[in-house]
Order: sequence, then structure tokens, then C-alpha cells
Amino acid sequence: MLLEVLQGTEAGGFILIQDSVNYCGRHLLKSCINAALKREEVVHVLGFEVSQEELNDGLDKTSAQRLHFHNAYSDPLGWTGNSPFTVHQFTLEDIGTLLKQTPQAKAVTLVIDSLSWILRHHDPAAICQKLQALKKGGVVRAVIGLLHSDLHQRGTVGSICHLATSVITVAPGTRGLGAFAKITRRTKSGKLMQDEEIFSINEDLTVTIQSKRSHPGSTPMNTDESEVDPTANLTFNLRLSDTQREAKEKLPLPFVFSKEKKSALLHPGTGSGRILYEPDANDDYDQEDPDDDLDV
Amino acid sequence: MFAELNSILNTSPDSFKPGEFILVSDKHTDASFLIHHFLSFYLRAGCKVCFLGLVQSFSHYSAISQRLGVSLTQAREKGQLVFLEGLKESLGVLLQASKGTRTMDFLRDPSSGLRGLYDFVRDNVRGAVGGAEEWGPPVLLVDDLSVVLSLGVSVGAALDFSHYCRATVCSELQGSMVMLVRCEAEEEEESDDEGSERLLRGLIHQCSLTLQVQGLPTGYCRDIHGQVEVCWRGQCDKQQAQKKLFQYKVHDKGASFFARGMSSAVL
Repeated sequence: MLLEVLQGTEAGGFILIQDSVNYCGRHLLKSCINAALKREEVVHVLGFEVSQEELNDGLDKTSAQRLHFHNAYSDPLGWTGNSPFTVHQFTLEDIGTLLKQTPQAKAVTLVIDSLSWILRHHDPAAICQKLQALKKGGVVRAVIGLLHSDLHQRGTVGSICHLATSVITVAPGTRGLGAFAKITRRTKSGKLMQDEEIFSINEDLTVTIQSKRSHPGSTPMNTDESEVDPTANLTFNLRLSDTQREAKEKLPLPFVFSKEKKSALLHPGTGSGRILYEPDANDDYDQEDPDDDLDV
Repeated sequence: MFAELNSILNTSPDSFKPGEFILVSDKHTDASFLIHHFLSFYLRAGCKVCFLGLVQSFSHYSAISQRLGVSLTQAREKGQLVFLEGLKESLGVLLQASKGTRTMDFLRDPSSGLRGLYDFVRDNVRGAVGGAEEWGPPVLLVDDLSVVLSLGVSVGAALDFSHYCRATVCSELQGSMVMLVRCEAEEEEESDDEGSERLLRGLIHQCSLTLQVQGLPTGYCRDIHGQVEVCWRGQCDKQQAQKKLFQYKVHDKGASFFARGMSSAVL
């Protein structure tokens, strides 16, 4: 499902890539940008977190003219006074102005790197409203955002996820297999689909799905080790033949009180120990058998 | 400068990667020995160093660097080292001396953020054009950034400061940056939104190399002072985050690093 999400975006789509300190989601974001460029779409990037050189590194050079990077990295708060784009300009009007640089484009994809930066400086509710307006307004065809989920409260992250039509949560894979992605996709009809995949990103920024294994927390060991027979490859024999197995099963366990044991105890054989008791003058010797009332 | 750490990080004063943001963090221990390492490393490499010493005096670093073979006084006189003595300056600000610089403004008004501090950094890393000596790429060292949190500055302001420093020092001037962050949070259940943990996570997202120092999980040991986890964050697409774990012991004149279980005391 990851490849479908990366390949096709219906109009009004909002793809959210969530990452954490353990795995950087920017590689996947660059894959999305590359895929959009290959689809002949015009891509506008609001770059807050990394510089233009860093983001362009590895992207498809032939479609470079379709990629417009708006530099919000060098001065996002206007401290130097002549900032190309500040975080306070994240409004519909200002974004519309930016997009007017390419008026003839029919399908514009807006990439936000990253939403965490904007959320640090704006009220989450206001951001949600602006994102919703971007989605519905028809100004852009699709929005792709990167969010660092461990930098915000769960409520904020949840609110942004609710707005998204597809949420890809990335985490490091186990044992160098690649990275792990959990994808949640909401179609227009309201149907919700979820999937978990292990993927890796190649040098040309295409994504390869390695397997559709379940969550790395559960059963990772069964993938390459089938049932190991512990009695194989030993210098001594731990196996049983059929006759040996029968004899083993016939053997009574030591502390099970079976019929044979009971009769052996109650009727001692000849030659077994006898107890001779000579009562003293002070002893209270009762001839009765104290075990008479036992129902054995 | 610790030779073993150089080989672990695959760097040397003659050749190191430009534009690196190195984050040193510690938890329940003291990682400032790494700051001394980087200070002497970059001074030996001939870089122009801007040091924000917010928690110790100049003589403290000078004495330790002397043992590592670098003279800070000389470097300062030559103009290679610019040292902000946070403790001295803060006294001036709090006693309302007539200095008037805006560098430590955040002490008077924490909500204004660290813009004054950034202006100081920006003015000092560029260096005098046509100066007497040509130094190498600029380096910014901060010891330590988490102290501003206890002075009332918000986590967001500290992250903005580090972002601006990175944009100027690493991306624009292709220099390097080393920051120390200390975490003291004990409980992990409470979502400590404004704490040093959040600052640490935010900085990890920004940096390219982290050295996380911790005490040994089993407790105090005389021969092994702790462990360091070195993590190269994949900036380029090919590399995933690559992690290595070492243990270390701090001596009088340096520190030695070894793989787990390979301390000379136990071998």
C-alpha cells in the first residue's frame, strides 16, 4: 500500500509522514517529491528545516525546473530583516502568492518540511484550519507534510493525523532489514485501510517493499528459523525408539498412589520389617486399630 | 583531543567533514570532557572558534586545555578563539551595569528568546575580512544549552536559536557546531513538554551526529566511567542511522574509549 500512496494522489489528498528521532522521515519525503516530479507535477516546497542543497541532494535533476523551493530555512522568524519566507507567512494568501509563481500549472503539490516547525510557532487549531482550507480550497492538488511526532503532544499529533487522507508512520526496522512503515489510508467514501510494510529506499529515491511482515515487535525470529530440532547434531542419542517410548509410557510415576502400592502397604509381605511393641506401665495402649475409620 | 575518539569518529584535525552539527548529550553523568576534546580538536585544526561558555569560567577551560596541550589564552589573544564568559556577563546584566550589550538579554526577559545570543554568534563567526590571520572554517561550541531552560527560556526559543546557528554556521559558512545538552529528567511517564528531554529530541532532529553519554546501567565503576553511544544520522539517502556503543574512562590528560567489556581493567 505504501507504493500506491506514493504513486497516486487524488485531488484534495493530504499525505502525512510521521517520524521520530530513531528514524528520519525525510528520505521518504524526498521519495514522495521525486515521485511527484516524475509524474510531471509541479512541486512547491516550503523548506523550514533543511537547506535547499540538502533537500535537492539526490532528487531527479531533469525535472528541476518543476521544483520550486521556498527558502524558509535561513531566516524563518525574520531576525535578519530580509527573509524570503517566514513562518508567520504560513497563511492561505501568502501561499497563494507563492503558488502564483507558476500560474500555468494544473497539478500543484505542496510539500511542507516540516509541520513540526510551524506547529512550534502557531496554535495547532489554527494550523489545522489552514491545512483543511488548503486541502479543500483547490489551490493545491495535494499536500505532503512531514511531522516529528515526538516533539508534540499526542493531542496535537492526533489532530493533524485526523486531517490527513494518508498517514505513514516510519520507524527503524529490526536487524538492518530496512525501515518499517505503518500506513493508514482514508478514501473519499470514508473507508479506512491499514497496512504495515518493511521498505527500503534506493539510491535513486525509489522505494522497494521488502516484505509485508507484521509489526517488528511480534515474531521477528520466525522469519528465518523454522522449528529447530534440539535432538539433532548431538554426540549422544536423545531420541527414543518405539519400544522405548512404550516402556516409558508404561512406567508409573514415583509418587502416584496406585493400586499395587496400596496393597503392598496394607498387606506387608513376609520377611518385611515387623514392629514389636512392648507397652510400658505408663503407656495408654489402645488395642483398636486407629486406621479403622479410614475409607481407603 | 582524544586520539581514540578521533579514530572512532573517523576525523582528524587535518580532515573533518564540514557543515557538521554534533550534539553531545548526557544523562546522570558529566559529558563535558567531550567539550574539552572538541575545543582542543578545532583549535588544533586552525579553525576560528566561537565558544559560548555559559556554565564555567574561562580559567576552568584554560586549565584543562593546558593539560590537553592547547593554550586558550594564546588562542584568544591571536583572535582564533572568541570566548563568551556567560557567568561574568550575567553578573553585569543582573547588577545593571552600563554595558548595554544584548547578548545575555534573556536573563532579564526570558520570553524574548535567545536572539541576542544569536546576534553575538553571527557577528563573531564571520571573522574580520582581511584580518591578519586566515583561520579555517568557523566553529561554534556551546556549553551547555540546557542551562537556559532553567533560566526561564522556553524549549521553542532554544530550538530556534540552534536552528539559526545551524543555518548560519553549518549551511552558510560550512563550519561546524558542537552543543552540549544535559538531561536530568528522572520520570518518563509524565509528558515533560517543556523539559530538557523535548529539547534533546528537537536537537537530535536537527543534528547530523550525536554522542549520547550515560553512566553505566549497572551503577558506579571505578575503571569505567560510563558509556557513549555514537549515532550518525543519515543525512544523505544512502546511510541509515548508524550506531556504535563504547565505554570510556576519563584520565587526567585525556580519556580512553574501548568497546564494551574490553576495558584494560578487566582484560
